[in-house]
Amino acid sequence: MKFFQYLLKIDRRIIYIVMGLLVTLPLVKPLGLGVTSGPRAARLFQAVDSIPAGKTLLISVDFDPASMPELYPMLTAVMRHAFAKNLKVLLCGLWPTGMGLAIKAATDIPPEYGKKYGEDVVYLGYKPGVDAVILGMGENIKNVYPYDYSGRSLDSLPMMRDVQRLRDIPMIVALSAGTPGYSDWLAYAQSRYGMKVGTGLTAVSAADAYPFLQSGQLTGLLAGMKGAAEYEVLVQKSNYSKAYMPAVAAMDSQSLAHVVIMILVIIGNIAYFVTRKRRS
Amino acid sequence: MIPFLILLLAAGPAAPPATDTAAPPPVQRLAAPAGVKAFDTPNDQGKSITLRWSAGDALAQAWLVERTGPEGPKVISTNAAGDIGYLDEDVKDRILYAYRIAAVAGADTVWSGPTPAVSSSPQVFNTARMNILIAMVVFFMLVVYYIETAKKGKNLFVRRIAGLDAVEEAVGRATEMGKPIIYVPGLGSVADLATIASLNILGEVAKKVAQYDSALLVPNRDPIVYTVAREMVKESYAKAGRPDAFKQDSVFFVTDQQFAFAAAVDGLMVREKPATNFFLGMFWAESLILAETGAQTGAIQIAGTDQVFQLPFFITACDYTLIGEELYAASAYLSREPLLLGSLKAQDYGKLLILVVVVVGSVLLLLSKVPAFSVFSHIAGFFNIN
Amino acid sequence: MKRNVPLAICLGFGIVMMVQFFVPHPISVGFYDLTTKWVRIVSAFALVLGVGSFLMYHTEKLRRRRTGWLYSIVALVAAAVSTVVGLAWGVKQTSPLQNYIFTPLLVPLNASMFAILAFYMASAAYRAFRARTKESALLLIAAFIVMLGMVPLGAAIWHRLPDLAEWILSVPNMAAKRAITFGVALGGIATALKVILGIERGWLGGGKQ
Repeated sequence: MKFFQYLLKIDRRIIYIVMGLLVTLPLVKPLGLGVTSGPRAARLFQAVDSIPAGKTLLISVDFDPASMPELYPMLTAVMRHAFAKNLKVLLCGLWPTGMGLAIKAATDIPPEYGKKYGEDVVYLGYKPGVDAVILGMGENIKNVYPYDYSGRSLDSLPMMRDVQRLRDIPMIVALSAGTPGYSDWLAYAQSRYGMKVGTGLTAVSAADAYPFLQSGQLTGLLAGMKGAAEYEVLVQKSNYSKAYMPAVAAMDSQSLAHVVIMILVIIGNIAYFVTRKRRS
Repeated sequence: MIPFLILLLAAGPAAPPATDTAAPPPVQRLAAPAGVKAFDTPNDQGKSITLRWSAGDALAQAWLVERTGPEGPKVISTNAAGDIGYLDEDVKDRILYAYRIAAVAGADTVWSGPTPAVSSSPQVFNTARMNILIAMVVFFMLVVYYIETAKKGKNLFVRRIAGLDAVEEAVGRATEMGKPIIYVPGLGSVADLATIASLNILGEVAKKVAQYDSALLVPNRDPIVYTVAREMVKESYAKAGRPDAFKQDSVFFVTDQQFAFAAAVDGLMVREKPATNFFLGMFWAESLILAETGAQTGAIQIAGTDQVFQLPFFITACDYTLIGEELYAASAYLSREPLLLGSLKAQDYGKLLILVVVVVGSVLLLLSKVPAFSVFSHIAGFFNIN
Repeated sequence: MKRNVPLAICLGFGIVMMVQFFVPHPISVGFYDLTTKWVRIVSAFALVLGVGSFLMYHTEKLRRRRTGWLYSIVALVAAAVSTVVGLAWGVKQTSPLQNYIFTPLLVPLNASMFAILAFYMASAAYRAFRARTKESALLLIAAFIVMLGMVPLGAAIWHRLPDLAEWILSVPNMAAKRAITFGVALGGIATALKVILGIERGWLGGGKQ
């Protein structure tokens, strides 16, 4: 009885230690459970894949360092896919704290494919005023962003000669950790300028976007770490990249974390029923 | 035309000699785009003309769009084969323009005739939003009707909301224990209705805190919310006849960084060991970080948000949770003011109306699949929001 | 006067903004743009009040040596350093703010706070997920299916499990979510209307007149 009573109130520090260990171990020694891609990630992959070479893909970096583990692998995977397909990548952001992450991606990924800043990739930076920014970009990107993030005039960047406004861009992938984010791109860029909008979200907020996916407003959705891992697998399967897949590596940890929670819940319930029975 | 001739010539030698009695295969000619329409884009702020055309035949590999205006004819767009529409946003209002569309296959180009001249202009009413206007008017009428009914003194029944009944007990507990109450008005801005609802509840809670002579701590993430919250708490203390008990630093701004705010409030809970925590307003991923820390410190916790996907976290870690609209109902429930209660009743009937519309709409849409009732398929269009 | 002027402004702007929603004319759109700019300007000024409150709260705590006053030193020093570095060197990629504060401090600190969720979810689920009633048992089974279906392990156990998890998320879960959303939307409209008409005056500071 005492044992079950103990199981009913396991010290939370023990739970944290077990959780910490089981999350860390697969990062050191991967279990290799593998990831199979779901329909939502496949839809986004197909949409990006079907953009003709030479066209521009807009990626909005609407997240901050807190959601970096889930959303940054999405950013790198989508960028790798775009460069492998010879698309140009235009980065922008509605979150000021996402600047450092967008700069990192714009610096790290293009050299893998021999792409150059200004010719194949441009980062516009952050501008406050969500709707005004998107609507302004619809009319003329240079009116909203006369300069890129580092102060270079957009007129001096060769890539921007063919990209005047949102209508020149067939698709946007909005990687959002909250608001502002994909919903703003849907409300303004899609409804007004007919852009395809795909998105990547943190797992906790992904269910929010399901109705938009069901109605066809969203062209694909990456949900949390799993979504990122699915996209990484799709990119590698198509021989677009051989780079390390951080989200796939983290999926083993996530699998074990889910198992820990389930075991804890089962233990809690067994203890609850045994103690209740004996009490009654 | 040249590639077309080359194709014919190239086909020549391969053709069987004249002795063959079979008829030569029919030669498909590239047809001009049909049904070209140019019109002022509806429901917009002007400076835009919409073009639509039908594909004609399947030979076209691309379409050219030509505009003739004061500056003369000019090709303004090349569309892919499947793209049979164009929105020209490079026009001036009240200037006449005519358009031609060309089907292109290889070097062969066949132009349609010009459209009648058309001009753009801004509209003063967005007819696509008529559905919203109707819904809004109906709901406003319901609200006004029930407020008037409440004014006349009619007793309006409001079901019990456990989370709000517990407010009194939670404040009393803090007094007995001699520990403070932490009230987090969410992480949203003052433009969010959940924040406004939360601030209204804060007023009621602060009044009770002043009456019971407990301590109240209100950390804020938004500077404007902080300013309003401070005024509300100050006013509530004054109303309770205890203006002297209000402490300036009991309502304070922490940071506008989401997780830094969560860390600061967690720290505050761990240090102060509050008797009661209120988490009411807009919350995102930090909801469980706050609620679980609060649960570990042993506080009674009352939470509420209209962020549907944060509700499970609050329900798991808090003692009472106000689900969705209960948050908006709180100020009416706590103050029992007839005017506020009236609008609650209107919400109930609004929901009933939505339910009826959803059921009837679904039945009609199902019926529209039967050919005899296909007219009902148009009702779906009425519910589109632009 | 102190109450009536803000109430009149609120009523006026509330009605104008409602009308604006239905009018696509450039004057209407221009007015909307102008008001959103005002909101941003007001927010910027409010930040000054926020910073004032931050400084006052922590200096007061420090002066009175209240519980945790040492943390106030950390908060004040961090705020001062960030401000000075940001003003002196800007926020460009190569600035010290990016190299010494954003990347090595803010990124891991924020990520750590978010990561705490994994631990808290485990302890909260263990404490609260008990099959006390039939309904909670049902909830528990659904949670198990979704948790397993969302990770590769689920597909390894049964290849249709991810589909089942997907169905739970997009059908029963979505139906409940939409029902709550209807209520929230109506509650939101009613609250907005009460604020515009001056029935709900709490945001003014709680006074009746």
